[in-house]
Amino acid sequence: MLAELSVPSEPGNERQAMEKVAVAVEGLGLPAPALERLKTAVAEATMNAMEHGNHYRAELPVVIEVSASDTELFVKITDEGSGPPAFDSEIPDLEAKLEGVQTPRGWGLFLIKSMVDKMNVTGDEHHHTVELILHLDDRAEGGK
Amino acid sequence: MAVRHLEVEVRREPGGAVLDLRGEINGFAEEALGTAYAEAERDNPETILLNFEGVDYINSTGIALIVGLLARARATKRRLVAYGLSDHYVEIFNITRLSDFVSVFPDEETALSGAA
Repeated sequence: MLAELSVPSEPGNERQAMEKVAVAVEGLGLPAPALERLKTAVAEATMNAMEHGNHYRAELPVVIEVSASDTELFVKITDEGSGPPAFDSEIPDLEAKLEGVQTPRGWGLFLIKSMVDKMNVTGDEHHHTVELILHLDDRAEGGK
Repeated sequence: MAVRHLEVEVRREPGGAVLDLRGEINGFAEEALGTAYAEAERDNPETILLNFEGVDYINSTGIALIVGLLARARATKRRLVAYGLSDHYVEIFNITRLSDFVSVFPDEETALSGAA
């Protein structure tokens, strides 16, 4: 385990989360582009957890666990929501958004999936967890 | 880390109206961005330039706000131009396809000459 941290569910706190995760992974020597992508994925997953899981109730933390193996980095982001994890399942289509067919929002899940190699979503009656996975052995070869 | 609320200044250049953005483009930025854009539209410029040099964070809600500005620009037949984005946010403009509709330049000089 590289770090376990938490942030209160208040608007804007996703930046705290992404900066704390960036500090936690410093020793892995991620190239700057990979680190920026990880930070965006962490921020978006944390925002989703604060908004849809914890309904921006500050007393409910979003808990983030950072760990790594020789080949992969794992970031688990857990909220205290119940039921199925809430993500907008509609694939964002910019032209549809410009024509008013889709809402301008709904980019979060798309951004997360674009920024990491794999994302797993699990949940039970007490928690939702989004797990972000980066393949570390791809980094030096120009992987995502 | 405290949220850096967006501050926007509007200035007129021969190539169009420039919005100098400083801070974070997130859900808190909606009013500042909308007000500044309306101010930029006042003289009916053909082009509105978004200067991202002072922006260090854009989240998905911020992307939605930029989509909203783009929709306004298209509805009034204006061109929207962006410059000063970091490499990471250029990538995000590419994957969201914003860069298909918003011309992206590295700096103000190239943006203004590209807008002319």
